[in-house]
Amino acid sequence: MDKEEIKKRVKKVTAKVLEIDESEISDNSNFSFDLGASSMQSIMLVAGFQEEFNVEMDEQRSLDVQTVSEAADFISTYIS
Amino acid sequence: MKFRHLTNEEIHELTAHGCFSENWDQIMVCEDFSTVNIRNTHFEGNIKLGSYSGRMEPGNPASRPCGIFNSSIADCEIGDHVHISDVRNLSGYNVEGDVEIINIGSVMAGNGSSFGNGTEIEVVNEGGGRELPIYDRLSAQIAYLTVFYRHDPLFTKNMLGLIGHYCASKRTGKAVIKSGARISNTLVIRNVCIGNCTIISGASLLEEGTIISCREAPVKIGTGVMARKFIIQSGSEVDGGAILEKTFVGQGVKMGKQFSSENSAFFANCEAFHGEACSLFAGPYSVTHHKSTLLIASCTSFFNAGSGTNQSNHMYKLGPVHQGILERGSKTGSFSYLLLPGHIGAYSVVVGKHYSNFDTSDFPFSYITEGKGRSELTPAMNLFTVGTRRDADKWPARDRRTDPEKLDLIHFNLLNPYIAGKIITGMALLSDLSEKATGKQDYFHHKGIYIHRLLLKTTRKYYEMALKIFLGQELARRIMTAEPGFPVAEIRNWLKSELVPDRGKWVDLAGLLSPVSAVNGITEAVKSGEISSTEELEKRLASIYKNYLSFSWSWCSAVIRDQEGSLPEDLPACGLIKIIEDWKSNAVKLNSMILKDAEKEFDQGSRIGYGIDGDQAARDEDFSSVRGEYERNKFVAGLRKESEEIEGQADKMISLLKGIS
Repeated sequence: MDKEEIKKRVKKVTAKVLEIDESEISDNSNFSFDLGASSMQSIMLVAGFQEEFNVEMDEQRSLDVQTVSEAADFISTYIS
Repeated sequence: MKFRHLTNEEIHELTAHGCFSENWDQIMVCEDFSTVNIRNTHFEGNIKLGSYSGRMEPGNPASRPCGIFNSSIADCEIGDHVHISDVRNLSGYNVEGDVEIINIGSVMAGNGSSFGNGTEIEVVNEGGGRELPIYDRLSAQIAYLTVFYRHDPLFTKNMLGLIGHYCASKRTGKAVIKSGARISNTLVIRNVCIGNCTIISGASLLEEGTIISCREAPVKIGTGVMARKFIIQSGSEVDGGAILEKTFVGQGVKMGKQFSSENSAFFANCEAFHGEACSLFAGPYSVTHHKSTLLIASCTSFFNAGSGTNQSNHMYKLGPVHQGILERGSKTGSFSYLLLPGHIGAYSVVVGKHYSNFDTSDFPFSYITEGKGRSELTPAMNLFTVGTRRDADKWPARDRRTDPEKLDLIHFNLLNPYIAGKIITGMALLSDLSEKATGKQDYFHHKGIYIHRLLLKTTRKYYEMALKIFLGQELARRIMTAEPGFPVAEIRNWLKSELVPDRGKWVDLAGLLSPVSAVNGITEAVKSGEISSTEELEKRLASIYKNYLSFSWSWCSAVIRDQEGSLPEDLPACGLIKIIEDWKSNAVKLNSMILKDAEKEFDQGSRIGYGIDGDQAARDEDFSSVRGEYERNKFVAGLRKESEEIEGQADKMISLLKGIS
C-alpha cells in the first residue's frame, strides 16, 4: 500500500472519529491543534487506525504521532 | 489535691476585690490559694479553685497574669495556672490548668450531655437507613463498616451496640476544658468538651460536641464558626464561618470559607471550603474547594470535587433518596452532574452532565464523559494521565495528621490487589464485548453507560499493562526486601507467601485495603461477641493494616500461579525473569506515556493567553517565566529518574535471578 493510499484512509478514519468533514483534513493537519482531537479521541484515533489497517501499534509511540502525515509514516512501518 | 474552705480573711479580701458569692461556704480552694488575682468575679454553686500566681508564660512579663477577672462562675472546678477574664457565664465545667478563657458570652454545660458522642448522622442516604453514631475515636473504617454493612443485620446491631456502649461512658463525665486550651472572643459554648491545646477564637456557637486535641496536633476553631452536634478530632481547623450541623470532622481536616455541612462525616485530611455537604461520607482525602459545589448522599475517598459539582436523584418519588459511590481517587469536573444512584470506579474522572444511572466500578482509571446527551466511558485512560500520578504522589506527602495516634488506616498504594482485581474484571468484560463487536455497532451498553467499539481492544491493553506493572512491582518488592546477603540459592524460600495464596476479592474500607476474608473475620467476631469493644475492633482493623504486604503478596502469588502455572517460588528462573522484564518495560512505557501527557501542558495550546500584549516570542518567554520549562519540571525529572531506577533495579534482579536454579 502506498503512502497516498494510507493517508487517504487515515483521513477517512479521522473524519469519522472526530465527526468532521474529510475535506477539512490536510496532510499537515495536527490532530489536536487543527482538528480539535481530545485526549480520549486520540485513543480512539489510534484504535481506529489499528482497525482500519489491521495492525497492532505500540501505545507509547503511537501517542507521539501528531499529524496526518506522521500517522501515515508510522502506520506504514507496520504495514511494510 | 487537697481543698479547704475559704478563711474569713480571704472572704473579706475577695469581697474587697469586687467578688461576690451568696454562699462562700460552697467555695473550696487549694492549700496555697491566694486571693490576689481574683477580681470582680461572681461565684455561684459549688466551686473549686486552684492556685493563681505569676504569669501564663512564666518569665514573659508581656503574657497575661494568672487569675480570674471580671467573670461569673458557677459550679466549676478550676485548675491551677489559668487566666479567665471577661467571661459572662462559665458554668458546669472542669477547667484544667494552663487554660486561658477570655471575653466569652457563655461557656456552660448541663448534666446528661454526651457531648456529641452518639449523635446519629444520616450519611449516604439522607432519608435514613444508614445512620452513623459519631464519637470521639471514630475512624473511617469503623464508620464504613457501620454504614455500609446493613446487609448483615446482626453485625450492624452489634456494631451499634459497641459504639453505643462507648458513647454511654461519655455521658457520665463532666464537661472539661483541658490543659493548654485557649478560648477567646466567642459567643456561646454549650455542652462541649474541649481537648488539650485547642484554640477557639471568634466562634459564634459551639453546642453539643467534643473536640479531641493534643499538643502535637491542636484543633483550631476560628471566626464565625457555628457547630451543633459535632465531633472534631485532632489537628483539624474549622474556620471562616463554617456551619456544621450533625457533623463529624476527623484528624487533619480543614474546613472553612462558609462551608456548610449537615449529616456528614469528613475523615482524615479532608478539605472543605465554600460549598455544601449533605449526608456525605467523605472518606480520607476528600476535597471540595469551590462555590456552588454540592456533595450529597455519596461516599468518597481521595476525591476531588470540581466547582459546581452536583448530584441528585432527579425524581423525588419516595422522598430524597440518593446513593452515590465514588471510589478512591475519583474526580468530578467543573459543573459536572451525576444522577444518583451511581457508582464511579476508582481513579475515574467525571466530566459533563449525566442523566442516567450507571455503574463503572469494574473499570478503574476511566474517563466518564457526556456525548450526544448520553454517558460514555473510556476505560483505563486515567492510567496514563499526569494528574493521576501527581495525586498518588501528593496524598502521602500531604498527610497533615501530627497526632501520634492516627485513627484512620490509610493505604496509599496506587496499584494494589483491590484495583488489580477490578482491572482483571474490566479486562474480561472488555474481551467479552470485543468478541461481540462487529464493525456495524459503534457503541456497547454496559451497566448504564456506553463504550465505543474502538476502545475495547486498546483500553484492554492498557489494563494489561497496569496488571503487569503491579505483579512485577510486587515481585520486585519481595525480592528487594530480602535481607542483604541473602543466599541467592534460597531466594525461592523468600518468595513463599506467609499466607495461603488467595486471589479472593478485596475491598477498600474508606482507605484501608483488605481481603474480604479478613473483613469477614472481623464481622464474624463482632457477631459472635468475640470483639466486644470499639477498642478491640480498632486493634483488629490495625492488624489488617499492618499486614497489607503479606495479604498483597498472597493475592499476587495466587494470580501468578493462575497465569504462569506455578506459584512464584516454584517458577523456573526464566518465568520470574519474564515477570520482572514485563514490569520494567511496562512501567517505563507507562511513565513515558505519562510524560507525554505532561508535555501537553507545555504545548502550543497551553500557551494561549500568555504574552498578553506581545508577539509569539513574548508569549513563549512569558510562558517560560510563569510555567517553567518541560525539561526542567520537577515532576518530569522525578518520573524520568523513577524510570531509570526501575530499569536499574530490574536489571539487577534479572542478573540475580539468572543465578538461581
